[in-house]
Amino acid sequence: MGRVVAHLDLDAFFAAVEVLEHPDLAGLPVVVGGSPDGRGVVATASYEARAFGIHSAMSAAEARRRCPTARFVRPDHGLYSRHSRRVWTLVEASVPLAEQVGIDEGYLDLTGAVATAGDADRYLRALQQRILAETGLSASFGCGTSKVVAKIASDREKPRGVTVVAAGREATFLAPLRLRVLPGIGPKTDERFQAAGLATIGDLAALDDAALARLVAGAVGPELRDRARGIDPRPVTLPGRAQSVSVEETFERDIATAGEVREIVLRMADDVAERLARDARGAQAVTVKLRYPDFAIATRSQSAAAPFSGPEEIARLALLAVDRALAARRPPVRLVGVGVARLVDAEQLRLPLP
Amino acid sequence: MKIHCSTEHLAERLATAARATSTRASIQVAAGVRITATSSEEPGELAATDLELSLRVPIEFEVEQPGSAVVPARLAQEVVRSLRSDRVTLEADPAGGRVQITAGTGVYGIHTHPVDDFPKLPEIDPERVFEVDRAAFTATVERVIRATSKDESRPVLTGALLQIEPGRLTMAATDSYRLAVKETVLTDEVPEPIEAIIPARALAEVTRLATGSGPISVSADRNQIAFGVDGVWLTARRIEGQFPNFRSLRPEGFEHEVRLPRGELADVVRRVGVFARHNAPLRLGFSNGEVSISAQTPDVGEARETIPAPFGGEPFEIGFNVDFLRDGIDTASGDEIVFQLISPLRPAVVTGTEDDFWYLIMPIRLST
Repeated sequence: MGRVVAHLDLDAFFAAVEVLEHPDLAGLPVVVGGSPDGRGVVATASYEARAFGIHSAMSAAEARRRCPTARFVRPDHGLYSRHSRRVWTLVEASVPLAEQVGIDEGYLDLTGAVATAGDADRYLRALQQRILAETGLSASFGCGTSKVVAKIASDREKPRGVTVVAAGREATFLAPLRLRVLPGIGPKTDERFQAAGLATIGDLAALDDAALARLVAGAVGPELRDRARGIDPRPVTLPGRAQSVSVEETFERDIATAGEVREIVLRMADDVAERLARDARGAQAVTVKLRYPDFAIATRSQSAAAPFSGPEEIARLALLAVDRALAARRPPVRLVGVGVARLVDAEQLRLPLP
Repeated sequence: MKIHCSTEHLAERLATAARATSTRASIQVAAGVRITATSSEEPGELAATDLELSLRVPIEFEVEQPGSAVVPARLAQEVVRSLRSDRVTLEADPAGGRVQITAGTGVYGIHTHPVDDFPKLPEIDPERVFEVDRAAFTATVERVIRATSKDESRPVLTGALLQIEPGRLTMAATDSYRLAVKETVLTDEVPEPIEAIIPARALAEVTRLATGSGPISVSADRNQIAFGVDGVWLTARRIEGQFPNFRSLRPEGFEHEVRLPRGELADVVRRVGVFARHNAPLRLGFSNGEVSISAQTPDVGEARETIPAPFGGEPFEIGFNVDFLRDGIDTASGDEIVFQLISPLRPAVVTGTEDDFWYLIMPIRLST
């Protein structure tokens, strides 16, 4: 499997946070948004509320007509940001590369971390389980060889779904879907395509250049058709400067003892220190990641009160972290990773204490 | 057990004892306060411990029936402090498991923890108790406690080193980024010198208790150290291990010594420090006759102020964590502080001009 991109989408995120904060809302139709007495609109509806046909962007008044017993909650964006931060902190520590694109969604690059579609499925289910266990929030994942396939796939089996599209199956997966689910096709474009007799993504994918040019002017057309074919070269990128530096390695044979794991961690701590020094930056946390033969992933982070960059400090914190992980579950392990996170431009020097 | 007590007194004593409770400890009874009633002739006792820290608090009450009970601290406090009647009666159910609080027409039944589960509290050997001056002790704690570490992975640094010897009380604390050392003259008699690493939390609790006057009693054995304040005994587990040899960390010589007005410097650091967010350094630029204090945080903003300073020599710039620097300036005493500096990557020492205190601070490496 070449490039592996996953899309993470938190399920009914605002409503889910409200239920977390107010457990008495659990199981009830919850509508987060404006007031149903005014001209408010629905931001998010819980799945219980969706059963009544309530959806985002619907007027809150209409939502109340459909479900008079729904509980209406005004959005608290500060609260959602805090919960979002918790999820992304966990995700960033767990995957090689993560790009958050919204408060409740983002892309993960899993290239190198998983080998087959089955791997990806297990990997993402384990991550989904950890997000649920550690943040109380449920997420759906889509996975494929590109962002567009991953994004569309994550929406197929909500909530708490994992949809992996195997390499080579992209076009087949997309073909029967309504055009409107393709990112970049808004209501206007959809209308124009429908009028031209296109109903599915497959119809768009099959257009020849001339027919395409008649429908959409300029470069947008070929780009949309590429996406309809599952082709999307956009890479998963870090927003702004690197937020973390990490190294990880999957071993051919399982690492059988804690002693060996610790030795590998020490070696990796040196590599990380070197890469950090190249960047002339300091870090505030060290994360260690282990993957077990059953694909379960353990990550542990260790923070310091002030930024550091020296190999001794990274090694010290990494060992503390790996010992905590190994205390929870012993080797064998299949993968070991060490990273530093929360990077800053300054390095706080320390006293040479024993 | 059945006792009658002043509501106000009970509320105040419960609040004191509850400082040693914990809801996070591994045993449930750590969230409870043990009430012990012996007889009306002897004072009663409230006791609490989270296994790291324990408190024994004397309390006045009338004993109708001796006995003891362990009540959940938070619940008991909530009930007692909201009572409106002056007197309150506590009666343990003879069958165990409950204490009934009666005040006026109100009756409150509280589920209790088993008395037998309450940990055995450390005994204080009266032979080993001696006294130190309260003001000297609390003033010393206050000067160093901020430099203790919060990093549990290095337990030794989460406490302050306490040295009591004839004529002198010394405390030192470091989180490895800064080191604070205070020496205080002691006129009390010291039967045997003490050197112990005391958890920062225990020291903070002692100063909280020691608001009045009169000496503080101290008693130490191999594992524990106890402080007696106005009849209340606080016992803490001593932190095991070797505290860094702090005196050797102070550089022997400095390149520069700059005196600055403490109040003005503190004000400037506070104002400019607003722009040293997300661990951005506060920069001190020394040049002929002045020091410029500046900070910049990307996407936030930047600030600079200059104050005259008796500095001569090659200009240089040194960066500090603003909180660490501010702690040093705040805890030094006197109208002036003295900066002792070597170079941008070597430790700096801040001292006051009035007493025996020094504060060593490690710089932040500046990228440009």
